[in-house]
Amino acid sequence: MLIFRSIISIFLREYLITFRNFYNVLTVIVFFILGVLIFVFAIGPDKAIYSQIGIGIIWTLILLSTNLSLKKLYQDDFNDGNLILFYISGISLELIVIIKIITAWVFFQLPFLIIIPIVCLILNVTTDKIILLILTFIISSPILTALSSISGSMNLLNNKNFAIGSVIIILFSIPIIIFSVNIINSTTVLVTPQLNILLGILMLFLAITPWISATCIKIAIRNK
Amino acid sequence: MLLTNNLSFKRGSKTIFHNINISLSPKKIIQIKGRNGIGKTTLIKILSNILVPSTGEIYWNGKNIKKDSHLFFKNFTYIMDTNTSKIDMTIYENILFWKKLFLSSISDQMIESLLNLLQLNIYKNVMVKYLSYGEIRKLELCRLMIEQKKLWILDEPYSGLDELTTNIFNETLINHSQNGGMVIFSSHFYPPITSIEDLPLEHYANI
Amino acid sequence: MFKIFINPGQFTKFADFIFKPLVSLSIISLLIGLIFIFFISPDDYQQGSTVKIMYVHVPAAWLSLLTFFIMTIYSIVALAFKIPFGFIINTAVAPIGAVFTLICLITGSLWGKPMWGTWWVWDARLTSVFILFLIYLIIIFLRHSFTNLEVGEKITALFIIIGSINLPIIKFSVDWWNTLHQPASISKFSSPSIDPAMLWPLIIMTISFSLIGLLLAIVRIKSEILDRKQLL
Repeated sequence: MLIFRSIISIFLREYLITFRNFYNVLTVIVFFILGVLIFVFAIGPDKAIYSQIGIGIIWTLILLSTNLSLKKLYQDDFNDGNLILFYISGISLELIVIIKIITAWVFFQLPFLIIIPIVCLILNVTTDKIILLILTFIISSPILTALSSISGSMNLLNNKNFAIGSVIIILFSIPIIIFSVNIINSTTVLVTPQLNILLGILMLFLAITPWISATCIKIAIRNK
Repeated sequence: MLLTNNLSFKRGSKTIFHNINISLSPKKIIQIKGRNGIGKTTLIKILSNILVPSTGEIYWNGKNIKKDSHLFFKNFTYIMDTNTSKIDMTIYENILFWKKLFLSSISDQMIESLLNLLQLNIYKNVMVKYLSYGEIRKLELCRLMIEQKKLWILDEPYSGLDELTTNIFNETLINHSQNGGMVIFSSHFYPPITSIEDLPLEHYANI
Repeated sequence: MFKIFINPGQFTKFADFIFKPLVSLSIISLLIGLIFIFFISPDDYQQGSTVKIMYVHVPAAWLSLLTFFIMTIYSIVALAFKIPFGFIINTAVAPIGAVFTLICLITGSLWGKPMWGTWWVWDARLTSVFILFLIYLIIIFLRHSFTNLEVGEKITALFIIIGSINLPIIKFSVDWWNTLHQPASISKFSSPSIDPAMLWPLIIMTISFSLIGLLLAIVRIKSEILDRKQLL
């Protein structure tokens, strides 16, 4: 039971640190809205087009916004030695990874739930599609957070190639994008199977991410 | 009791040091000495089971720390060369976090008197990012008292401390060793404590 | 015998032993294969002589998958049993696999232009092979992004293991999705849906491609081993 006290204290700490830098989260959302604006300027103000490709635009921008919060996940704690402190404190690194993923999801993905319907209305997406979009977002966004956890932990010691972390996230998010966008444009019969596939991917990533991230963090700690 | 058996470490093909035998029994203080880049931090990381030595074993109370790493982790405090306090939290929040993370039983009065002693009590509710380097370092050393472990492994504990704090810290070291504690630290500063044993790394370096 | 696959010294000895026979064998098989292709194998009644692109396209595709499969196995072995030879193999073999994938993509689009009327379509098979090419590139880049060689190797091995999810997707993409790309003709060994006059040149070309790939791999692995000895 005592271990729960330490876990809750880590949660509290993550919450405090992220909350005191809340303008980071707001900046990510501003980036998202600006991205939508850029698309509108690049493609033109024809509303008929956006009812078709609006969902694709939104998903692309969610993915790009995920890349922005990637560095925040582990790099600070690694540089000032906090990951070593966690390692020594006896709490397994897998647990730390899970805690980090949950806080990152709450702070960097949940705010999109408020902003997505608004953007959908701007882009002329119909209501039934908005509901489906939010449903897929709730399933897919933890996968994106897990991906940024994998990529962030892989690149802890990478001080030469700054772009490869984002490249890894985008590479592995291809199946998520395929299914998330397809669900919305497919017939009602095909919605449930595709949702099930997405849920399967989510389960897979929830299972492997703590292990992979913890291994990468261990490698990084050992070679700091 | 911390025992090492023929420790050596290689980075690539370069031998950093070899055949180090340390026996750290209670009431003993060991200072690791040596010029920059000779591997003091590496040795300290090996002793705290973060790096794996190329050859040799480390035993804690007769048990190999590789096998019983959880048991070993419960028994030592490791002060790094970096500052682990979070800059977006106040001093008191940092201390409270360490207290809960390491499941310490230190009382609020003890924390209060500790902060008083280190003259940090006026900044108790100040964010760490507004403190100076020396003050952050003092806060880091607070972890020694909060964790209440037997073995202290310290990397450059004297850096950034003023004269007053250095004296307090020396007294703390003596107190700890007299109460049956063990200390191993690296520093370029030679504290005026008579019971310190030296470990000059130059003798073990590869020529 | 087993040790040549995990021990650099044994491997070098074995590689020196088989190198010269391998060179002559691959030249002979390549010559036989080319003669078969240009003079003996018949034209397709639908596709005409463009069908002969197949003899380069299919072996390249197979070998790109095989290379990745070998890398996956070596990554698992190297990480699990702490055998550094696996990392050497990964480093040496990744560019070869990338080149095979590139050959496969280029010949595929050369074949697609006369047959489908377009250089490229976004169907499942083509896209998944394209992703395989990108994964190969990332593997090569990832290893060079770390100042510490050892870390780069381990992280790359982990990445290869995760990236191997793509292999079954490529293999079954023609069955799972409705695609323009034709399904495999040679998967059913009992009754292959390919004419024996075309099957034989294909087998010979596959053998010669594998021999050439093996030759390149041996040269690259040996130079990698020498490189590391110099570092030590």
